Amino acid sequence: MTGFGAVLASALSLLAAAGALDLALGARRARWRSAPYLVGAAASVCLVVAGAGPLAGHPARLPVAGWLGAGTAGLVADRLSGLFLVISFGAAVPVSLAFASWAARPSSVGRRGLGASYALTLGAVAVIITAADAFTFLLAWELLTIGFYLLAGFDRGRPGRPGGALVTLVFGRVSGAALLVGLLLLAVRAGSLDLASFGQVPAGLARATAQVLLIAGFTVKVGLVPFQIWLPRGYAAAPGVARAVMAGVAVNVGFYGLWRTLALLGAPPAWLTGLLLVLAGLTALLGIAHAAVQPGLQRVIAYSSVENSGLIVAGYGVALTGAAVHDARLTAAGLLAATLQIIAHTAAKSLLFTAGAVIAPRGSVSVESPGDDDLDALRGTARRLPWSGTGLAVGSLTLAGLPLTAGFAAEWFLLEALMQQFRIPGLGFRLVLALAGAAVALTVGFAGVTFVRLTGLVVLGPPAPAGPAPAVPVPAGSGPTGPAPAGPVPAGSGPAVPVPAGSGPTGSGRRGGADRDYGWLGRVAIAALSLGCLVPAAALPLVIRVIAAGLAPVVPRVVTSGALKSPWVVQPVFGDFSILSPSWLWVVMPLLGLAVLLFTWLASGRRLTRVRRVPAWRSATAGVEGADSYTATGFANPARRVLATVLHTRSEVRTLGPPPEATAPAPLAETMEPPGPRLGYTSDVVEVTEAYLYRPVLRPVMAAVRAAKRLQSGRLDAYLAYMLIALVALLALVSAMA
Amino acid sequence: MRPAGTGASPSRLIGSVPELWQAVTGSVAGGSRFAGLMATQRPGGVLLSAQLATPAASAAPAGIVTCEAAVPPGDGSYPALTPLLGAAFWYEREIHDLFGVIPAGHPRLEPLILPLGSERAAGQGGSRAPRPRPGRSGPEPAGIWPDEHALPRHVMGAGLFTIPHGPVRSGVLESIEYLVETPGEDIPHLNMRVFYKHRGVEKRFEGRPVADGVLLAERTEGVASVAHALAWCHALERIADAAVPWPAALVRVLHAELERLASHLDTAARLADGAGLAVATARFSLHKERVMRLVGRMCGSRFGRGVVIPGGVSALPEVSGRELQAEIGRLEQTIGSDARELMGTSSFLDRLRRTGPLRPERAREHGALGPVGKGSGFSDDARLARPYDAYPALGLGEPGHQEGGDALARLRVRWDEVHQSFHLIRQAADELGEASAGALRADCPAGDGRAVGWAEAPQGEVLYDVRAEDGHVTRCGIRSASYHNLVLFHEVFAGDILTDFPFIEASFGLSVAGVAR
Amino acid sequence: MSPWVPRGLREGVVTTRWPRRPDPYAEGWRGPATVLDPHPAGGADLAALCPASAISAAADGSVRLDQGRCVLSGRCVAERPEVFGWSRGPGHAALARDGLMVPRIPETEQALAAARAALRARTAGLRRSVHLRHVDAGSDGAEEQEILALLNPVYDIHRLGIFFTASPRHADVLLVTGAGAHGMAEPLRRTFAGMPSPKVVIAVGTDACGGGLLAGSYATSDGVGGVIPVDVWLPGSPPPPFSILHALLLAVGRLAVGRDQ
Repeated sequence: MTGFGAVLASALSLLAAAGALDLALGARRARWRSAPYLVGAAASVCLVVAGAGPLAGHPARLPVAGWLGAGTAGLVADRLSGLFLVISFGAAVPVSLAFASWAARPSSVGRRGLGASYALTLGAVAVIITAADAFTFLLAWELLTIGFYLLAGFDRGRPGRPGGALVTLVFGRVSGAALLVGLLLLAVRAGSLDLASFGQVPAGLARATAQVLLIAGFTVKVGLVPFQIWLPRGYAAAPGVARAVMAGVAVNVGFYGLWRTLALLGAPPAWLTGLLLVLAGLTALLGIAHAAVQPGLQRVIAYSSVENSGLIVAGYGVALTGAAVHDARLTAAGLLAATLQIIAHTAAKSLLFTAGAVIAPRGSVSVESPGDDDLDALRGTARRLPWSGTGLAVGSLTLAGLPLTAGFAAEWFLLEALMQQFRIPGLGFRLVLALAGAAVALTVGFAGVTFVRLTGLVVLGPPAPAGPAPAVPVPAGSGPTGPAPAGPVPAGSGPAVPVPAGSGPTGSGRRGGADRDYGWLGRVAIAALSLGCLVPAAALPLVIRVIAAGLAPVVPRVVTSGALKSPWVVQPVFGDFSILSPSWLWVVMPLLGLAVLLFTWLASGRRLTRVRRVPAWRSATAGVEGADSYTATGFANPARRVLATVLHTRSEVRTLGPPPEATAPAPLAETMEPPGPRLGYTSDVVEVTEAYLYRPVLRPVMAAVRAAKRLQSGRLDAYLAYMLIALVALLALVSAMA
Repeated sequence: MRPAGTGASPSRLIGSVPELWQAVTGSVAGGSRFAGLMATQRPGGVLLSAQLATPAASAAPAGIVTCEAAVPPGDGSYPALTPLLGAAFWYEREIHDLFGVIPAGHPRLEPLILPLGSERAAGQGGSRAPRPRPGRSGPEPAGIWPDEHALPRHVMGAGLFTIPHGPVRSGVLESIEYLVETPGEDIPHLNMRVFYKHRGVEKRFEGRPVADGVLLAERTEGVASVAHALAWCHALERIADAAVPWPAALVRVLHAELERLASHLDTAARLADGAGLAVATARFSLHKERVMRLVGRMCGSRFGRGVVIPGGVSALPEVSGRELQAEIGRLEQTIGSDARELMGTSSFLDRLRRTGPLRPERAREHGALGPVGKGSGFSDDARLARPYDAYPALGLGEPGHQEGGDALARLRVRWDEVHQSFHLIRQAADELGEASAGALRADCPAGDGRAVGWAEAPQGEVLYDVRAEDGHVTRCGIRSASYHNLVLFHEVFAGDILTDFPFIEASFGLSVAGVAR
Repeated sequence: MSPWVPRGLREGVVTTRWPRRPDPYAEGWRGPATVLDPHPAGGADLAALCPASAISAAADGSVRLDQGRCVLSGRCVAERPEVFGWSRGPGHAALARDGLMVPRIPETEQALAAARAALRARTAGLRRSVHLRHVDAGSDGAEEQEILALLNPVYDIHRLGIFFTASPRHADVLLVTGAGAHGMAEPLRRTFAGMPSPKVVIAVGTDACGGGLLAGSYATSDGVGGVIPVDVWLPGSPPPPFSILHALLLAVGRLAVGRDQ
């Protein structure tokens, strides 16, 4: 056991202590509720240290031989593991602090168990990343699935939660099963369970099948098409900051698995690389298409996770291509881009979900089960919740890829890596890379639209007036009705409903979200995560050096360091192609802004501060109440129309029934006869994989399950017969193989 | 010598309001067109007058028949006509605004041109705002200010938001507010607030000598000055039973048709501007400028004001017949050529095809006037059905027939009318050259009586219901074509998007001044 | 090439050269009535001639005509051609409401000269590039057509550096038409408040100057002078495009002489 191994061990024991603390103390006092997360934060710090050591060249070893009877089982952290430990648990520290701050709020956690699930998840992540043999790996993977299920299913009262937790569990099991078969195949061929020995398995059907299964298992975890349907439901079902743990910290194990597969087994068959690239492009596009049109905050962020998975796997696909054509620089370019995107995504997603935990605590899990995170109701919350609002803004800008953020550097690298396709000899790879590049570029564009909508409405919008909050009548997409044209309303008998302010049916007259921002602990966390979104851009050369050290098991360090052209300028590993200097941007852009301000001040003759305020120009109208400027739905309308093929948009305008009861009589209501028909507009999008892939398959599967249920007849003689048949078959098998 | 108008404008007083509505609906079912609903304040209460455009029958020529009934004194309400006849929708709202009487059963009684606190609220202790009550003798009420809080402000359904567009819109346009309900791109519904430009014109007529009325009539709807003046003069000539001399009738036709030309050229220029055809816009505005300069040379006013007076015209055109023919010939050639080019520009036609469709049965049911109705197949041109001045002699020629109901059909109707107008102008100029000797106006004593006058403005038929006593006007009810047609604007947005809005508005070609009066 | 371009080229240049060179249409056009003989016989009865009550008698018995109320009915010119006549030319705008009373008295001339100097100083930054915003405060529709005529090829205000703008934030000059309908008072104020200084307001048309035939109505404010401060008053019913152009150039100080004598 090395020094860093001891740190690793202490971290794991701290996590166990955190779990025990939560189960012992319960959830009655605020201090008891936050204690597990503070311990977890300490454990995360230890894990970061335990990861930094290997990166610097001192591998951490923690043998647990004999404890579980699996021979040379143990935890080893080499450079790659160290890199992922630093990335994941670097984000886990502020997330744990925010979790502690959030859990201390009165109505957040109702009972014991959340802290234990959180500790279980973090522990499983740490063990997966440092597992040295297949058994430990699989054990930790299953524990992670259980942890996810417990986190997603914690909030018993949330509508839609059972479905969300169940689908998380199902997909976790599917990935576990794929990994089990793949790893066992390799173990049989290699003769031992040691992960390092799998590299020696000779090339052949077994190795290729194992590669396919492993990659499939890991892509289920990260949410690649067609496995992405569990992400939005699972993430949205989890309570509060647990979403940040699941989506920001724990999802990295999938990427770690993919990186490790490449390190151990090298290039997979060419068809798999091509398929991965195509699926990555599709995932990115589908993810952002859905994110652009969702009405709820949590679902927007969850679909953005899908999009980022697509981007990261696209980078990984470039690396696989490089391995296939034996071009180490291409591999380095792809992995560097993907790892940078992982860093940006981890920081930004954790930040978004952390901020979202306060802004919209009870997010909607699916369209049919509404929550309190309707974007229209969340307008202008940044004024009431400045820290969360700023966090949301910084996270959004990072994921949209704006220049001063880490997201910009990552996406630049990714696009540059995809553009290197002209260096590859084969036409097939070139075509597929070009396709993926086009999809990624389109995604980046729509990401801008998505996050502008988020920032513009939630952070910068005018604050919605406070008022009673009636139930939001979310129009359930009751069956496909086809795009019906607006029925012509009889002359003038339109929706003139004199309803008083504050009870608008779209919810724009009421205020959503919490009333109190984070405490000082949560603010520290948000500040740290925001720095994590911005500093990697300013200090990009340093980050690239660290990544190069971490990727050493996959691609030589000196190749990856080719991305550093000069102290402050970076290039996409290949020279003479393109350069970028985010650090220089960090200096120049603020200076330019200051210069403009200075020029304005000088040119205005010191009248800069003499301002006359008038209301915004709205054609001098007397005004209307309710939504009189673009709503979230209206802003997303062009995206819904343009992407109608991907989203299968269906819209209709129909006349609704009479309005909900108004609390106070409107000024003219008593003089008028019943008002004319109200118009309602609904627009539904369809999750294409769910509708066309899973639902048709579900029916025969359920039929088969029903048929299989007949075996559970409950009769003793039937069960005895089964046991006899199984014994006879086993005897026959053993004797045949002897 | 031809009479002022071959049509008649009889009026009947009916016992009660429900019987009045029965008569109206029966007449409409029998083939008449509902032309308007006005009210007058009498000492005993409010008198409702319904105008019906009757077709020619064996007994009587085509004309406008007025049926009246009094709202019982002391009653604040009467049974509404709108549930029986949808076209009365805006008329009853206006009557409520001006007189305070409540049409019981009206589906949506909001203020239209004068938002004040409601009468019922006033009865329950709210403030009672004075109503103008046209027809009431006595001093004019002091300033009445519209109350913005009397408007319904929460006007949309679920999933939609409202874009308030107006009253100060982008461009040099008249003040009206459109509340466009939209989910983001298309326009399922539209509301309008027209009260901004209410000037109280009808009340200004009262007490004036009848000779001054024509000045005010010209300034009610400036883009149809000649038509309003004609309608006013026809009403007075009917009261005085005066016959307009033939040269005067010809001059009236000249100016009315030149006004129609200018209006249709203006519409074409606006449509071309909306489609981004800069040269076409410039050419059509140039043609309109030439027409207006011609009118100005003829009578000293670019809008033809000051020409039409009760009994005839004030003077012959100051342009000789030959010069007039030459100018008209030049105009017809260039305008015809440009119109043909415009109707062949596919990028332009694409913007108009299937934009703003008005269903033919809706147009017939409502009695849509002017090019709006003709574009949907419903034609009741006053120059043809109830001809006046020189129209019976000159003849209109074959009217074109359009059924499309969209903006393109309305533009085609306008080109047909332009062609017709040139034909009429040439004929009138010819006849005027031969008949310029003679009196220019008949004696039209400022009398006592009541009549309805009409004329076909470029937007459609204009009605003036004039009561005079001792040479002074006691009540003038104005029904402009813009007022009758604008309510159809609610219904022509089927699947159109925000960028189609200016085309639909320009293709209607209405003037807000005539709506809000 | 688009088929419209040869058509436009064939037409040639139709744009007027005014104000650089005199334009016969502009000079020949008649404007509001003016007083030819201030001391006629039977001066007291002349006030009844005008349906818009524009004619009045001064304290010394001379005839005064308020062009800001003249609706160009022509009655006074037809009845008493020796006392009243038409004014000619495009320049009837005045920089003060009193400047519309003819014949002018010396005090008014001084006040007008002072107003002109003040306006020139205030609009020093606007000379060469002017943006207009128009508000219809209850007009009859004719003034809007005349203002829009400024954009046709004959007048073409773009050649003078004058443009129409949609937002009052970008506007320098506010053109107001209409008699000041009460419904438009608040929107007009909002538009005026939304314009940054320096700004100039031009009341276009007799309705805007004094209410015209609608003065005294329950629904108007007798012109827009009571709603917002007006800098240039332009009478006419409606004023032809040349007059509007003249008033615009006067408002931004590009005309040396304010008014044709």
